[in-house]
Amino acid sequence: MSRAPEKPNDSPATRPGLRDFFYDRMGMSVAAGLAAKKKVPIHRSTPFYFLGGMALFLFVIQIVSGVLLSLYYKPSPDQAFESVQAFMTEVDFGWLIRSVHSWAANLLIGILFLHLLTAYMMRAYRRPRELTWATGILLLALFMAFGFSGYLLPWNQLAFFATRVGTALVGVLPVVGQDLLLLARGGENVTGDTLSRFYALHVAILPLLTLAMLGFHLFLVQHHGMSVPDREALRLGGSERLPTMPFVPDFLLRDAVGWYLVLGILAALAALFPWELGEKAAPFSSAPEGIKPEWYFLFMFQALKQLPGHILGIEGELLGVLFFGCAGLVIFLIPVLDRGQISRLVLNILAALAVVFFIVMTAWGYFDKGSLRLILGASLFLGVLSLAISFSDRGTLVRRILWMLTALATLLLIIGISQELYQ
Amino acid sequence: MNALPRCLVAIALSSSVAFSVAAQEDAPNEPPAEETAAFETLTEDYSCMFCHGKTGTLSGTEKNQHLIVTKEDLVVDIHWQKGLRCHDCHGGSPALDDFTDHRNDPSFRSLASPQDIPVFCGHCHSNAQYMSRFRPSPRVDQESEYWTSGHGKRLQQTGDVKVATCVSCHGGHNIRAVDDLESLVYPTQVAKTCATCHSDAELMEGREYHGRSFGHQQFELWSKSVHAHAMMEKGDLSAATCNDCHGNHGAVPQDVDSLANACGTCHVKVAKLFATTKMKHQFEKTDLPGCATCHGNHKIHSPTDEMLGMAGGAVCARCHEQGKHGATLAGAEIAKQMHDELAQLVTQISSVGEKLDRAERLGMEIRGPRFRLRDANDALTNARTLVHSFAIEPVQQAVTEGLTVTSEVNSDAEAALQEHTMRRIWLGFSLVPIIAVVTLLLLYIRSMPSTK
Repeated sequence: MSRAPEKPNDSPATRPGLRDFFYDRMGMSVAAGLAAKKKVPIHRSTPFYFLGGMALFLFVIQIVSGVLLSLYYKPSPDQAFESVQAFMTEVDFGWLIRSVHSWAANLLIGILFLHLLTAYMMRAYRRPRELTWATGILLLALFMAFGFSGYLLPWNQLAFFATRVGTALVGVLPVVGQDLLLLARGGENVTGDTLSRFYALHVAILPLLTLAMLGFHLFLVQHHGMSVPDREALRLGGSERLPTMPFVPDFLLRDAVGWYLVLGILAALAALFPWELGEKAAPFSSAPEGIKPEWYFLFMFQALKQLPGHILGIEGELLGVLFFGCAGLVIFLIPVLDRGQISRLVLNILAALAVVFFIVMTAWGYFDKGSLRLILGASLFLGVLSLAISFSDRGTLVRRILWMLTALATLLLIIGISQELYQ
Repeated sequence: MNALPRCLVAIALSSSVAFSVAAQEDAPNEPPAEETAAFETLTEDYSCMFCHGKTGTLSGTEKNQHLIVTKEDLVVDIHWQKGLRCHDCHGGSPALDDFTDHRNDPSFRSLASPQDIPVFCGHCHSNAQYMSRFRPSPRVDQESEYWTSGHGKRLQQTGDVKVATCVSCHGGHNIRAVDDLESLVYPTQVAKTCATCHSDAELMEGREYHGRSFGHQQFELWSKSVHAHAMMEKGDLSAATCNDCHGNHGAVPQDVDSLANACGTCHVKVAKLFATTKMKHQFEKTDLPGCATCHGNHKIHSPTDEMLGMAGGAVCARCHEQGKHGATLAGAEIAKQMHDELAQLVTQISSVGEKLDRAERLGMEIRGPRFRLRDANDALTNARTLVHSFAIEPVQQAVTEGLTVTSEVNSDAEAALQEHTMRRIWLGFSLVPIIAVVTLLLLYIRSMPSTK
């Protein structure tokens, strides 16, 4: 039996020092090699690469703040609200940690939406990155599930009734609806059993799934490298001719700027607008006015509210849920559906309609007042239009249409603000 | 009567009942289906309804209208629902074969005059053994109470048949259970039921009690009172209505010396305090009607702190300003002090409440202090109650307790506002290094050699 020969220059004796001790034992040379090899292409849309890093940074904040919250949280209907209340009032910086956790969750979902939108605009889902796209969509779904399950945990009135409405939607699904409803709630109604399930989902099941999915997503990003928009590649005669920068340290430092900006925004939001706790849930009271889910579910909630009881003999709510299910499936399958110029045009039109639908429904559901709806809707449109303009070429018809829409959104914003000021 | 005419009469009456039932079925105001289902149809040989079940069969129909009993009456009647039938109250035999003029039947219990009604109802309702069939611990004192009431005494002593008897308040053949929402004696209906007579100016004219005229505005005045507001608008069935102060079966106007006891039924603490004061004896001595002297009787408004003291609108000033009814200037001074004590606590509670509101608007968690502020409000309520001791010390003590709470809550509210300010300062401090790092990073990136 022969022994494998030892590598002559890898022994600690030849590389003294603590850094080298770990360098040798942790295979840091492999990581260093990968980091040295990784290049980031430079083009007009390069700043959008920061969105992934920002989302990752917020996820780390969520883990840290979530672990701190879990030290005090008690997942039972009798104690959940009181434990969060005590955490906010009696624990040093408890208010800040909870506020950071809630705000970071919302910022994370917002950044993931932008990440999704810009990845679509850059067509980053093209071969061989179909799986990167699919894991990204699944990650977005997982983070939305994080938001949905976490919303109930403080056991306050709004969250309780919003969860009751939200979980009831599962029940309208044919065949499996009732079984899924029982599985989600742990019984017929939203009770302490539901709270236990949502807690387990929020702190154990979803984190495990997310870490696994995130690891796979990052591996794919590392493996395939950054996607270059085909428009940019064409402009310079091939993606290999694009200028690049090393990931370490050039891009990493730029990424750090993004993280710090997010940290600053998060600190300002948490300090100036502490996340409210509301009133403790009273399951036997009537539903309070103005129950609504988190903003990222609001477009679905608002749309489902508008549907009539029955459409062509089928339950309206069921049709709505199936519609959103199909829409999610279409987004998931975009890499497969994008098969040429025509299908791309159809997808672009559908994407534009989806964005308009999202903004209109969100603004409609968020405020009761017309002028405030107008301000929110126009502001969101301006944000998306500025994003779209950055992806369009100068002098093209698309760019001109986008500018016209921007002018229209600005006008609507001015009208909304004027109405609000003079009312 | 020989057999043939009896048969003819029986056939004619049966036909008329059949037509009557058919006519009632076609009537637009048919009772709801569930009530109809609950109505147990009488057997064919039950003769009472032949005459009393419809109009036109009794001579002088207008005059005898009260003798007509309809299906609509019976389906809601508690006696009918409990299985009692006409003969259980009225006696006699309802069997068709024994059809005779029931007035000649010795077992028939006659109701010749309203004076007979209390005894008629008391036949069962004063019989504990009989009533226990329906309820384990039945009330059987209604009739005996009635004879002690203003109504009963007047009926017995003067034979005034216009006074209220059992049927005036409970109905005749449509007597609903007392807990039925539509019962004439359900708490929300009592005042209207009493008003049927007591708001009738013509009926009430000339009637008096112990030399005092009744008047006919009690219902109108009560309708504007804090009790009516609580009862009719807030749905508080424990709020006082006519029978809570005057009694029901033994209803009498309250005398001067018993008025505080009537109010004290609900306002127990106030009544206890008042009972031990010199003020009570002074009121009795000068024939002032206790609580009503300051608060009024039927039109009792929600009391305010302005009623206390010597300023305009204060009830204390009515006597103490001019020394009426033996009122003293020392009493006026105490009234002023009590008013000022209460005003001080009210101001503090309001001021601290505003601070808590401000802190809450700024997003601070102030649930605990807000909960504790309730103790100050409780102390204020206690102090307002203790006003009825007509002594300054207990009021001062209660107010001091309240002020201690407001002082603590005020500290908490100010701490919350202070913390909000500190958060902004710390935010500023934390943003400085963040901005500095971002700036340094950008400068460093700029200084880096250009990439390829």
